[in-house]
Amino acid sequence: MREIIRITNLEKVYDTGSVQVKALKGINFLVNEGEYVAIMGQSGSGKSTLMNILGCLDRPTSGTYLLDGEDVSSYSDDKLSWLRNKKIGFVFQSFNLISRTSSIKNVELPMIYAKVPATQRRKKAQELLEKVGLSQRMDHMPNELSGGQRQRVAIARALANDPPLILADEPTGNLDTASSVEIMELFTKLNNEGATVIIVTHEDDIAQFTKRIIRFRDGEIISDSEVKKS
Amino acid sequence: MMLLWENMKLAFSAIRINKMRSFLTMLGIIIGIAAVISIVSIGDTMRGVIADQFAGIGVNRVDVYLQSDDDTYDDSDLFSGDDIDKIRDTFGSNIEYLSGASNQKAVLIRNRTSENVIFNPVREGYTKVQPVDVVQGRMIDGKDNDGEKKNVVLEEKTAMKLFKTTNIVGRKIKVSYDSSSGSEVSEFSIVGVYRNSQTPLGKLLSGGSTEKAYIPESLVFNSDSEAFDLDMFVSPDANAQQFEKIFTGYVARLKNKNISNVVYYTAKSDMQSIDSIMSKLSAAVGAIAAISLLVGGIGIMNIMLVSVTERTREIGIRKALGARTIDILVQFLTESAIISAAGGVIGTSIGVGVVMIGGAVFGIRVIVNPITVIVAVCFSAAVGIFFGMFPARKAAKADPITALRYE
Repeated sequence: MREIIRITNLEKVYDTGSVQVKALKGINFLVNEGEYVAIMGQSGSGKSTLMNILGCLDRPTSGTYLLDGEDVSSYSDDKLSWLRNKKIGFVFQSFNLISRTSSIKNVELPMIYAKVPATQRRKKAQELLEKVGLSQRMDHMPNELSGGQRQRVAIARALANDPPLILADEPTGNLDTASSVEIMELFTKLNNEGATVIIVTHEDDIAQFTKRIIRFRDGEIISDSEVKKS
Repeated sequence: MMLLWENMKLAFSAIRINKMRSFLTMLGIIIGIAAVISIVSIGDTMRGVIADQFAGIGVNRVDVYLQSDDDTYDDSDLFSGDDIDKIRDTFGSNIEYLSGASNQKAVLIRNRTSENVIFNPVREGYTKVQPVDVVQGRMIDGKDNDGEKKNVVLEEKTAMKLFKTTNIVGRKIKVSYDSSSGSEVSEFSIVGVYRNSQTPLGKLLSGGSTEKAYIPESLVFNSDSEAFDLDMFVSPDANAQQFEKIFTGYVARLKNKNISNVVYYTAKSDMQSIDSIMSKLSAAVGAIAAISLLVGGIGIMNIMLVSVTERTREIGIRKALGARTIDILVQFLTESAIISAAGGVIGTSIGVGVVMIGGAVFGIRVIVNPITVIVAVCFSAAVGIFFGMFPARKAAKADPITALRYE
């Protein structure tokens, strides 16, 4: 089984001058290819910090983080950019689509930075938007779409460079219940097709869509268990 | 390089989204470039006008006279007809034309009207070195000189003032002038009429509006009358510096003077010094105008900083999705370079347009140096890149985590 994530003794300390805050206190876990994981915890539990590190937006203070076999702990900013581009598909709570830019252009964005030729880029973006059920909304601007539709554009964008890991940070946080279910079903579908998905959330209902839940409290993992499907 | 094209598309869409703001930002550059282009072009045009002016005088023309050390003069400082002949024989084809020169005033009188003119004594061959636009009759020729005939060629306007017509060849006119034997009034025959086609500006630059009247040289300079100055056209084939050296040496020996007493004045050297003053002047004024480009550049920097702040979130998203520092840097630099280059192009059109219209209004041949245009547009793009650098670096250095949280 291919390891997507291997985290060993990971620590993150925020040094605010006089006070040192330990956001992550030596955590260990492993995520294999094809897993569907929820990371849960209250605000301040360290799950956002972990999310940033998993997303290669931040570096750990100590410990190692192997992403798809690469030790990213000591990578430079530009190397991390490259890694985010190739290895991670982000889905954010607030969608983070670029405003005044059409759905298809938003989906093309990661491929631009991956230097995919324009025609190929466009074709792939169309396929992805079809896959998330937005083939009729390709040229719509984000402000012309509903929250659920925007999040689906974001998911299509996350899939653009076929990353080994999809990382969603509270993907349903800004959505109503119906849209939340739609989005989670989409993640489930992607996982069934073989994608590795990690969802950071504080909602139990959402976590129940996944197959494994890792719970955080005060910078430590307090539980790591399979989800029993009823 | 693929990213460059993407960045340009991105920049154009950003400019389109904020049309008004982009235009106002460009305005500083537009005004700066238009000012620089028009000032430099006006300078170039003036230099062109002056060059034409000197071409009118004759670029190979030399005024030679003797100047004593104590600023007084006696007969030995004058050139006799013999002297002139000797010089002519000595230098042969190196001298295209040589005569005594005078700027003697004369008054033409017909009935109760009179008109001031300047007597310009000429020999045969004058028109070869200095074109004269003869519209009626003929120019003074060799026979007029040989016979010391009292013939005159008048300017068109002089003719109109005195006769109300230019059709006056063969008519007589009374002339009052100073000759070697004192003030005298003689009757001259009009053999031709010429046209002075100088522009009003050209006349102003040549200093005075009194027209010339051409008369035979032999009337003024003969055995009893000598010339202060020599009016000489050196052959364009002759080496000017070498000729000057040999010529002044010869004249010094001929007149038994020191070489330093021989004044050898050429229009060319005057033209060069005026031209250099003009070009320095227009460069200086252009440099002052270029300060407005600096102000325009600061305007760009200001608006790009606003834009970077507004688009912090976009920068965060781009970075999260894989944009490297350099990608963001180039994106914002491209945007500021395009804004200012577009301003440069518009400013250039306005500057050139203004100069062209001005030239058309004043009837002057306008000179717009293409190098000036190229330099101005490149400079404006450089201003954009220079002043865009600070905001772009600010954008590029943004931390994606903070940028993504930015509201």
